[in-house]
Amino acid sequence: MAVPVLYHGEPNGPSLSVLAALYESGLDIECRPIDLLAGERHTLPGVTESVALDMAVEGEGPVLVAPNDSGGAEAMAEAVFLAQYFDEKAGGCGLQPSDAYARWQMLMWCRQATERLSPAVAYLGNLAWSQKRLAKMSQEEFERLLATIVSVDLRQRWQELRDDVVDAAKVEDSKTKVAQFAARVETQLADGREWLMGPFSIADLETYAWLRSMRELEADAFAGQRCCLAWMDRVEARPSVRKALARATTDNPAHAFAPGPEINRWG
Amino acid sequence: MAEVTLYHWEPNANSGKPMLALAEKGVAFDSHYIDMLQFDQHKPEYLAVNPQGTIPAMTHGGKVLTESTAIMEYVNDAFPGPDLMPADPQDRWRVRWWMKFMDQWLGPSFSMIGWCTFVGPALAQRSEAEREALIARIPLPERRAAWRKAMFAEFSESELAESKRRVAHGVTMLEEELGKREYVASNQYSLADINIFNSTYGLPVGNPELCSPQQTPNIWRWLKLVYKRPAVQQTWALGQGRFTDRFTAIMEEFG
Repeated sequence: MAVPVLYHGEPNGPSLSVLAALYESGLDIECRPIDLLAGERHTLPGVTESVALDMAVEGEGPVLVAPNDSGGAEAMAEAVFLAQYFDEKAGGCGLQPSDAYARWQMLMWCRQATERLSPAVAYLGNLAWSQKRLAKMSQEEFERLLATIVSVDLRQRWQELRDDVVDAAKVEDSKTKVAQFAARVETQLADGREWLMGPFSIADLETYAWLRSMRELEADAFAGQRCCLAWMDRVEARPSVRKALARATTDNPAHAFAPGPEINRWG
Repeated sequence: MAEVTLYHWEPNANSGKPMLALAEKGVAFDSHYIDMLQFDQHKPEYLAVNPQGTIPAMTHGGKVLTESTAIMEYVNDAFPGPDLMPADPQDRWRVRWWMKFMDQWLGPSFSMIGWCTFVGPALAQRSEAEREALIARIPLPERRAAWRKAMFAEFSESELAESKRRVAHGVTMLEEELGKREYVASNQYSLADINIFNSTYGLPVGNPELCSPQQTPNIWRWLKLVYKRPAVQQTWALGQGRFTDRFTAIMEEFG
């Protein structure tokens, strides 16, 4: 294959942040929608190097299939790193600060978002909006889907979602983490800055894309967080984000979830 | 006094990453040894530097940096010396992918096994009250839960089995990766090698059933290559105990 293709789910979570980052970069890469909850991410055509897709820590995120150094096609995953890739491939489109310390601050923020916020949002979002569809699948259909998933622990998260295994402690922990993150955004913006790191960056896209669906599901987390809500509106008004949201094929892309990152199992 | 101060434990896992990155870049630093088993990391003088009580931490002028992989990226960006990131954007993406995979999926499994077999037993002679007091002073709830498990040997069989499964799977993946490229994630020595080496340099002794010249020839080739780097030898010479002993024993085998 010679041409890279970005396979993405409905514009929510990592699919939203990666699409918006692509549009910020101005790179001309073909985008193809896939149904993540139908397992389509695991049967992409033409992939010869699939480890990053198979073992992606973020779970069901978008996948960029691009030519690799041995003449094959490599599946590239992880939303923050795809955004960095677009920025660097475009020769620097302003998604990453150029100062080393500012970049460290941005990466630390993104790590908090991917390690604390995204597993929490994915846990709540999947239970609220994806469980029923998985439960309705026939056993045969579900088993066929599971058989395409390489990662044993990701497969386990799919199975638990279908079986409606709910861990009350994880639900509570996830709600707390969402509220903490909204408060954290509020604090970060308290000095009147427009964007989280000062200049606009990947941190804005990553955080916004995961928080967006929680405005409905965890409305209390945003109560009184005026700076945070105004910032979310500012991110949403960016042409790149509007263009990403326009790729929705369903009425409410904020309800689109498939099993995401696991909640920290150690430390 | 150097401009950089590194607060670290042994050259191993998270502490070893910035130690080795600084050595590779040729950056001089003041070394502050934080004895994890004496809980130096939760004492007020260290919490004044890093309120989260995690190791390592680095100061550069007035800036404080935490999180080992992010510190390495900063070190590579902020100082002159050999570039520890490849130039090609796809290679750079792959370096980041492997580091995240180690930090979040594979590393915690190595760590859980290490804490169960080494850290926990090393603290077993302390009284229950003393252990509770040590736990109470840990700032992060996740770390409190981790230390509690280690100090009171509360690891379940199923979670240890899962960690062992992940380590075995991770070693297989690394073997395949090093069959494709000279180093981890690219054909250039990079932060990914520093990251992964810090959790895998002990495999020939710690997990000979998983890692040997016959079973994992690519990992063996790569380990030999990395072991022989001057910065690697310089870094492990800074250790004070079992990790450096293990390094030295394997180095002798590599000749």
